[in-house]
Amino acid sequence: MTTPEISWIAILPDLVLALGAAAVLLVDVQWKPKAQALGTVVAGTLTVALALTVVQWVRAQDALESLGPAIGELVAFSGMILMDGFAVFGRLAILVTTAIGLAAGWRLIEGLGRRRAEAIALVLLASAGFSLMVAANNLVMVFLGLEVGSIALYVLAGMTRSSNDSDEAALKYFLLGSFASAIFVYGVALMYSGTGQFEILAIRQFFGAFVVTNPAVILIGISLMIVGLGFKVSAAPFHAWAPDVYQGAPAGFVGYMAAVAKIAGFAAIARILITGLGDLDVNWLPVVAAISAVSMLGGSLLALVEADIRRMLAYSGVATAGFVMTGIVGGATSGILFYVAVYSLQLLGSFAVVSAVSGAANSASKLDEYQGLAARSPGLAAGFTILLLGMAGLPLTSGFIAKFGVFSDAWSAGYEWLVIVAVLASVLAFAVYLRVVVNMYMSESDAGALEVPDTARWVLLVSAAATIVWGILPGSLLDLASSAFPL
Amino acid sequence: MLTWLILLPAIGAMIVAMVPSRRRELHLPLGIALSVLPLALAGYVFWVFEPVAGYQFTQDVTWYEPWGVGWTLGIDGISMPMVVLTALLVPIALGASTSIETRRKEFVVYTLLLEAGMIGVFLALDLFMFFVFFEAILIPMYFIIGIWGSERRIYAAVKFFIYTAFGSALMLAGIIALAFTHAEQFGAPSFAIADLMSLELSSGAERWLFAAFALAFAIKVPLFPVHTWLPDAHTEAPTAGSVLLAGVLLKLGTYGLVRFNLSLFPQASVDAVWVMGILAVIGVVYGAVVAIVQPDLKRLVAYSSVSHLGFIVLGTFAFTSGALQGAVIQNVNHGITTGALFLLVGMLYERRHTKQISEFGGLQKVMPVYAGFFLFMAFASIGLPGLNGFVGEFLVLIGSFATLPVLAIIAASGVILAAIYLLWAYERVFTGVPDKKENEALSDLSVREIGLLAPLAILVLVLGLFPNVLLDKIAPSTEAVLDHVEESTGFVIPEPGRLGDVFVAEGGNE
Repeated sequence: MTTPEISWIAILPDLVLALGAAAVLLVDVQWKPKAQALGTVVAGTLTVALALTVVQWVRAQDALESLGPAIGELVAFSGMILMDGFAVFGRLAILVTTAIGLAAGWRLIEGLGRRRAEAIALVLLASAGFSLMVAANNLVMVFLGLEVGSIALYVLAGMTRSSNDSDEAALKYFLLGSFASAIFVYGVALMYSGTGQFEILAIRQFFGAFVVTNPAVILIGISLMIVGLGFKVSAAPFHAWAPDVYQGAPAGFVGYMAAVAKIAGFAAIARILITGLGDLDVNWLPVVAAISAVSMLGGSLLALVEADIRRMLAYSGVATAGFVMTGIVGGATSGILFYVAVYSLQLLGSFAVVSAVSGAANSASKLDEYQGLAARSPGLAAGFTILLLGMAGLPLTSGFIAKFGVFSDAWSAGYEWLVIVAVLASVLAFAVYLRVVVNMYMSESDAGALEVPDTARWVLLVSAAATIVWGILPGSLLDLASSAFPL
Repeated sequence: MLTWLILLPAIGAMIVAMVPSRRRELHLPLGIALSVLPLALAGYVFWVFEPVAGYQFTQDVTWYEPWGVGWTLGIDGISMPMVVLTALLVPIALGASTSIETRRKEFVVYTLLLEAGMIGVFLALDLFMFFVFFEAILIPMYFIIGIWGSERRIYAAVKFFIYTAFGSALMLAGIIALAFTHAEQFGAPSFAIADLMSLELSSGAERWLFAAFALAFAIKVPLFPVHTWLPDAHTEAPTAGSVLLAGVLLKLGTYGLVRFNLSLFPQASVDAVWVMGILAVIGVVYGAVVAIVQPDLKRLVAYSSVSHLGFIVLGTFAFTSGALQGAVIQNVNHGITTGALFLLVGMLYERRHTKQISEFGGLQKVMPVYAGFFLFMAFASIGLPGLNGFVGEFLVLIGSFATLPVLAIIAASGVILAAIYLLWAYERVFTGVPDKKENEALSDLSVREIGLLAPLAILVLVLGLFPNVLLDKIAPSTEAVLDHVEESTGFVIPEPGRLGDVFVAEGGNE
């Protein structure tokens, strides 16, 4: 018997991220360099990781086209890791989010003094964890990735220790987060006890081959996994942590934290439910549909009454989780990937604006502070408006295409009522985002011109441009997302 | 070519956006100059437009294959007049905006973007693209009302936005349903109107879809009882906003009813005749009665829109040649006369900073030219024979008498009520002696203002005296719509409802 060949390429990008994190820490200890030098290390790490991911993408597509035994090569590490288009797309999204997130938070990182290396390393580690999570085929591997990523995020939330809010956010996130992880693991355990399998592909085969006469254990397992992951993507009713964390954690990081957790969380939900448990969908579809409806309506309504923009964005994130879940109900992964990808960019851009207006380390960011922003900084206000309209899902923005995609999927899956709830919730969402626009454009402020950091400008430019371009010509990203299906 | 009709204003908006903010004197003239280009193109389209049924100048480019969405444009006798009207009203609305002092550049940019969106709505033959434009115009209009409106502008802007978005949200669900049904029946989704007209819908599904679309358009029209956003939006909007709102945006609703409800859901439309007809007539009478008691001149004109648009909806659902032609041409006529009335009210407001009728009196002594224009437009709006308003409302009333006699008789009272509210308002504002000191010093219309009103006044006369210039181009398309309704339902339009019937009847008399 020979030792199985290890297909390193499947995890190389994640390894590079982890090594990059280590390098940042070591370089910092050894040479105590300026922030700029660390930036170079980070940029190098991310470039290498991105390049490797592109290589993965090409390989995955080649293997799928050949339709031969090459497909087997996409299953790596004895079935622990997959290198299918779905995983690579998710990884790509995470890497881009990481790059933009670090750029958006750079000013905050610079201000952290000696602890800046820690922050950078944590971001890279979180990305490595979540990146493994989207590629995981084994439920234990999903959990491992989830924990590596989440623990790094808990610490990031408390990065500005001097502020009580940041402490509170970190503690809350940590306690509730670990609780949710525990629930998820329990679900995994029950799934194992019911099927004898950890691997998602094996679970699919299991349900394809057998009809379980008494599926109680399995069903409880599924619901516990949905609850655990639902927490991570802040779907209602598991969203209670989100507003406090979004508000308390340093603004410079919140965009990244929220975006990366949503990408990985939804990728895991999609893979487990749609790929692994597709044959049991009669059981979980109603549950996911209910969570989706509650999230959309509840999130939008709660966002409508918030006076703090970060809490508002948190609740609108709850609503967005609901919208993405209509895609899970629809059962097509492409719509979900597209939605998550464009929403992440919008979220990153929005928090770059919040950092610029309210301060990257601050926790309070009242809606009133945005009064007259159009006069104080026309570019910032215009960019933010595009992002808000994009999140609201108005036509000519990528948000509309995203919503249209998942709604169509849900409709063709026979969930007409969910689509009707969704379009009505979208109207509520309009009202939510318009409140900010009203503040920016339709009220005056006597505060002087706002100084906007260059990095924030770039982040905003990229995210707003992406929102418009993919809103008018979404073909490129839609094609990419639809060729990124899971094995 | 039609793509350019949409692109020209959009490019114009970008050009204006690139002019530095401090060159304030440039923005408005540049905007007007740039909005004349689409007008010229629209004029050309009108000129070469063949009076035949079916779409002309069609373009069809695949936009995203798997979804079956295409950049499908085309123009027919129903949309052509609206495109020309839109292209005409935008330069006039911009020309009337010299009093806008703050953030003038943004104003011009939003107006041009609005124009691109409005023209897009009329040209789109793909439901997806239609929806994109239909929804996208909310954004510039929202800013126009919200930034440059009067005191309660934010309330009005948000109300306008949410009301309309609510209506179109359900329409979006309807659009998805249609595309999905097409995928079920033909194997691939499609959003093209031509494809969707061949769908086999169950009667239940057709009714639901009809309701979803009708609600969206009813809010836009606005039809009683979902009209309440309109008075606020109109009253608070700046003059240019009101002109475009009344002139074009409301017509998106009536246009949508003809283009989509009648063509896609003919059976449900026939079944809904009484519901839509009664709501329309309630709108006619209610709008007129409420207009009578308005103390605010602008609000009065706004409510008169509710009344006039009721006629259009009645004509749409009467299912006779005359009524449908009348509805389509009344779209244009109302755009011209009400647009002009809003311009006039705006001009008065710029001088006196009030719109309260009780603040005025005896103005015809101080501003004779202004009073002349106002009276002329008021007569056109009332529907005096020889002016354009007469043609549309007369056709609607005659046409609907064949199928809905009771409703037609009640609606006819709207014409009388229109005379009451407009002439009474004229009497209070313009006749008598100027008893208020502020009113004595008011200046009459400037050359610029006359220049803005003159083209509209000429059109009022031309369309009033020679309506066939337009009707000949409209008729083949409206006939095609009615043919489609008759073919796909058991509904037979009673004689002499169709154009052909009228000629036969006349021939018999000779």
